[in-house]
Amino acid sequence: MKAKHLVWARRISQTFFLLLFLFLLIESRLPQDIFVDYSLVFSAEQDLALDQPIKFFFELSPLVGLSSLVSGYRIINGILWGAGVLILTVLLGRVFCGFVCPFGTIHHLVSWVKPSLKGDLMVKANQKTRSQRIKYFVLIALFVGAVMGLNMVGLLDPISFLFRSLALSVLPGVGVGLRALFDVMASSDIKVFNYLSYGAEVMASPVFGYSDQAYQGAWFIGVLFLIILFLNRIRPRFWCRTLCPLGALLGLCARVSILRLEKDHDKCTNCQLCVKSCQGAASPIPGEKWENAECLACFNCFHACPENALSFRFSWPPGLNPRPDMGRRAVLGGLVAGVSFPFLGRLDGQLSKVSDPRLIRPPGSLPEDDFLTLCQRCGLCMKACPTNVINPAFTEAGMAGFWTPRLIMTMGYCEYTCTLCGGVCPTGAIENISVKEKIRRPIKIGSAYVDRGRCLPWSGNAPCIVCEEHCPTSPKAIYLKEERVIAPDGKTMAVQLPFVDLRKCTGCGICENKCPVMGLAAIRIIAAGESRSLRNQILL
Amino acid sequence: MNREVECMDTSHSITRRESIKKLFRLSGSFALTGVITGFARMPLPAWANSQNKAFMVEGIGQKEGYSVKELTRKVFESAGGMKRFVSKGDVVVIKPNISWARPVQMAATTNPEVLEGVVELCQEAGAKKVRIADNTIHDARRCFSLSGARMVAENTGAELIFPRSSLMREMKIHGHRLDVWPVFVPLIEADKLINLPVAKHHALSTLTLGMKNWRGGVGGRRSALHQDIHQSIVDLAQFFKPTVTLIDATRIMTRNGPSGGSLSDVAEKNTLILSDDPVAADARASQLFGKNPENLGFIRLGKKWGLGTDDFLSLDRKQVSV
Repeated sequence: MKAKHLVWARRISQTFFLLLFLFLLIESRLPQDIFVDYSLVFSAEQDLALDQPIKFFFELSPLVGLSSLVSGYRIINGILWGAGVLILTVLLGRVFCGFVCPFGTIHHLVSWVKPSLKGDLMVKANQKTRSQRIKYFVLIALFVGAVMGLNMVGLLDPISFLFRSLALSVLPGVGVGLRALFDVMASSDIKVFNYLSYGAEVMASPVFGYSDQAYQGAWFIGVLFLIILFLNRIRPRFWCRTLCPLGALLGLCARVSILRLEKDHDKCTNCQLCVKSCQGAASPIPGEKWENAECLACFNCFHACPENALSFRFSWPPGLNPRPDMGRRAVLGGLVAGVSFPFLGRLDGQLSKVSDPRLIRPPGSLPEDDFLTLCQRCGLCMKACPTNVINPAFTEAGMAGFWTPRLIMTMGYCEYTCTLCGGVCPTGAIENISVKEKIRRPIKIGSAYVDRGRCLPWSGNAPCIVCEEHCPTSPKAIYLKEERVIAPDGKTMAVQLPFVDLRKCTGCGICENKCPVMGLAAIRIIAAGESRSLRNQILL
Repeated sequence: MNREVECMDTSHSITRRESIKKLFRLSGSFALTGVITGFARMPLPAWANSQNKAFMVEGIGQKEGYSVKELTRKVFESAGGMKRFVSKGDVVVIKPNISWARPVQMAATTNPEVLEGVVELCQEAGAKKVRIADNTIHDARRCFSLSGARMVAENTGAELIFPRSSLMREMKIHGHRLDVWPVFVPLIEADKLINLPVAKHHALSTLTLGMKNWRGGVGGRRSALHQDIHQSIVDLAQFFKPTVTLIDATRIMTRNGPSGGSLSDVAEKNTLILSDDPVAADARASQLFGKNPENLGFIRLGKKWGLGTDDFLSLDRKQVSV
């Protein structure tokens, strides 16, 4: 195959997979046109589920499957896709990075659209540096940490990183802006603007969310994303070369790849065009040792060389390629860091002593120990949640649980007949339970308690039964007692006082969400009583 | 307001003289209203100015396995057909109660077969567009899907209107308790508005019937409305003024309302109540729960502020069954 064809094949493949990623990202929410057949409702259990294969890219990332295997001892669904990628890498090198990875494609784009570095500066930026060893450090630290029981791979796995950044910060950010515009247009006195805004909103909301999505700490996710993108302007594909643990893993696998770069010293005029276009800083120029583990298989060098001094060839029989330049310090440092993380993560006592009352996990979540071996912090559950209640934890889950899912009842609430989060979780950190199971078991995620000082009827300020009205269990976990209380003006007032029956309460949080006492509601949820924990209980 | 003055007979076609007379009488009653209440801005209730006497049709499903849709049709037929309410080219908005994401048999939401029946009748009467709109409490996508409203829309081609912030506009409610409140605009922009509630239990207002269904027609801090629930129900009912109310009491929720969640909370009543008097419709439906309408605050207030009568026996009543 000619170099030109290879490069175009790469571009087409990159475009395809990036678009597929974006499509599945957008589809990771409940659509408006979903429906159940009500005439069948008596005979069949019908749960609402998403029909697109939205977990595909997580299955494709070998890091997700591998870390779940070594950390949570779980073979995730679709692990064969990841295995396939590994096999492909063993044969062909890091073609995943060059042809498939959507994050890599974005870096590629940012690096190459009007490149900031010209001529010699670009050649210099594309020289291999020792900083490229950092990714091996990252890989080893994350992997050893996962083996030791704390799976933080998802923090830096490129698929999780990209999904989280787009789903939790980019899409909601753009959506908030668009919706503000539509609201202005809709409130205009000019009728045309009204219709335009309705139309535009119908087009935009399936992509950016049907309501204003918001996520705690999303600004930080967004800033990190922007920084990582910006670094491409200093060194092309900075992330892929320097930080990406998946790139490091695939680089290690490429040791025996049979697709090799063959250099012809005699033809080379040392024009440096190959280096200038090299995405991986893999020393493609004849005279230097080609870094197989760094090569992203973009075929730019092959394409750029005017003298045909470079070509990619299959070489048989397979032999070992040059050893990846990991550096002893990166390996040792990674080992030390990997061993330390799980212990450091326990120092805040979240697991052994008392866990944060605000750490309310999605329904079906595994016990905290097991949860931390599987959760990828990818944000899929947060994106899919129809009420926007699932948010990335900041400090509530301790260092070990940074960015893991946590329910914030002022943002949303857990809908009683919804189990979407478990259905979308790529690793099963949140079990895929049915609605029937959720209600029958029942799965409790916490407990409600009334703050009598703030409560309107308890404090004699007004009659109110909103928490009881919304309580979804039958019989209701919130019950009322008629009582006479003294109002602020000294008169007695007949009210119904809310009480919580802890045995029935599932901690869904709709009471806190709908309570008219805004900000800090008069009825709130704490994690205690969650059915996934034996220890974090209230009642005998 | 003085009912006798503003009522007139429209069962036959209107001649020019009559229409002039009608105009005079209307303007007269406007002026009279203004004099009596001192509120010239207060408009006439929609159901009061075009009908002679308020009517009520009760439909009862007696046979085992009867068709709810057929019952719906019969009820409207007996009231003079949907053409009486919907004219050719009208944009009709139907406001069912689909606040909760519950399966249909839990009686937390309007029976989708009733909804489908009404949508079809509107279409047959020549409506240009039929829309189904509700500002739900649970997530709207799940509510519309589980309650069957989405499927009705698929089957009939009716439009489902999802609540969203750009469709909420602050409006003068002109209520006794509510002044300015965000309103779900599609309900206001309709030519004809059909109220299609389900009859349910409620801890504070005792029952959730027709007038309380308008809570799903507004946005904003709805949970604060409970602090004066009866007056806010009546304020909203007066603001929205449906063309007609059809209370779905095929299945009613007798306890654990308004969300329910268990089949043991549900009773089969196989009844539909159609009326152009929202207070009377609620009063009749409350009897299905064994309540005395006079004991319900929102019915008392509705009567007091002239939205209708709780004495539904005085209405032009009919009964049909399948």
